[in-house]
Amino acid sequence: MTANAGAMIEIENDEPGAVLDAFAARGWGDGLPMVAPTEERVVAMLAGPGSPADADPDEVIAVLPPRSGQATRRMIAVNAVMAGCAPDHLPVLIAAVRALAAPEMNLRGVNATTHPVAPLLIVHGQAAVDGGYNAGLGAFGPGNRANATTGRALRLILLHLAGATPGPGDASTQGGPAKYSFCVAENLAESPWGSYARDAGVDAASAVTVHCGEAPHNVHDMESDDPAAVLDKVASAMTSWGQNNAPISQGEYFVALCPEHAALCADAGWSRDHVASYLFNKATVRVGDARTAFDLLAWSPWQQRLGDDDRMSMTEHPRNIKVFVTGGAGKHSSVIPSWGMTKSVTIPIEAGG
Amino acid sequence: MQVYDPTGAVGPPASERAGSPAVLAGKRIGILDNTKPNAGLLLDRIAHRLAERTGAEVTVVEKKNAALAAPDQVLGRLIDEVDLVLTGSAD
Repeated sequence: MTANAGAMIEIENDEPGAVLDAFAARGWGDGLPMVAPTEERVVAMLAGPGSPADADPDEVIAVLPPRSGQATRRMIAVNAVMAGCAPDHLPVLIAAVRALAAPEMNLRGVNATTHPVAPLLIVHGQAAVDGGYNAGLGAFGPGNRANATTGRALRLILLHLAGATPGPGDASTQGGPAKYSFCVAENLAESPWGSYARDAGVDAASAVTVHCGEAPHNVHDMESDDPAAVLDKVASAMTSWGQNNAPISQGEYFVALCPEHAALCADAGWSRDHVASYLFNKATVRVGDARTAFDLLAWSPWQQRLGDDDRMSMTEHPRNIKVFVTGGAGKHSSVIPSWGMTKSVTIPIEAGG
Repeated sequence: MQVYDPTGAVGPPASERAGSPAVLAGKRIGILDNTKPNAGLLLDRIAHRLAERTGAEVTVVEKKNAALAAPDQVLGRLIDEVDLVLTGSAD
């Protein structure tokens, strides 16, 4: 399917303030200054490394709800220019848009909800290296162009193409900082378990994962020399009543271990699955307390049969606990709970996006 | 200077709303309850007020999950059983 090439508008000049004013007056943008998406810049964005010369710029990559906006290569590039991306970030962004449009992502719900959910984009493999994405110290930001602008471009795409405008298209009660930009790279060089994407079934040189969740919850442990002690603190961060995971059992968790916490686990012989299984058994609540806390419980049938004095994991299966490595020196990891009615998607970054 | 409109084109809408009936008396009104606690309260109140004022017959149809679109089975019931649907979203 192809769409038209897109409309042009006239603005006064290329000065950041003028561009911001002209776009803000039309209800566009995230509130921060943007680069003017001129024809020349958009053409250059579409012609970057990894984008084949014969790709149709008006190919519809996805139709994004609630607005049913057509995300063509060109429109994704327009928003990438506005966010400040470099051309080699475009294939990452196109893969992220494909992931967002997967049915199990439930993007209509993600955009419409009152929850502060934002899509976390994780970049895996060669594209993370080639694009200059930060997987090390300060990976969640700030300070790195690739992470900051790719995450921001994804938000601009949601605002402009999907129509996730606060109010009519995004009912988030308080909004959230992760809605500005939420992109990180997997620290493959320091992951003792290899690639998260490969373990998720995507054996490609480059891949992306998108997980619609909350901003990261910190887990600090400076002193433990036992994986169980560190992971007990992770379990504690997974077990708070305010998260949507509490009443929605299908919700996933992304556990972003720093290299030092990951090495502690791996050196003791713990695999990625062992970590998830341990957390499944430790991040539990008393069933009766959950029934008291919530009128509305989206639980699996087997959970509904549990007695009030039974204990139950915060998620219905260990496979919902996704463990990957990111960050640099130090002993801070994080937990990224889910919006709930959504599933993460990992897909390859194809040649040419 | 010329720059792109970043909003692009809009695909064809998935569906369109049917026209509203001019008179509700004798009609069957369906309440599609998204099962959130406050939505149910509000919709139920509206349903009963409407029934009192118009003589319409009111049926409440629940969908199991507020965050997902209504499944075909629920939509099928509404198509078969009612002439007009009231629904709401959020909490």
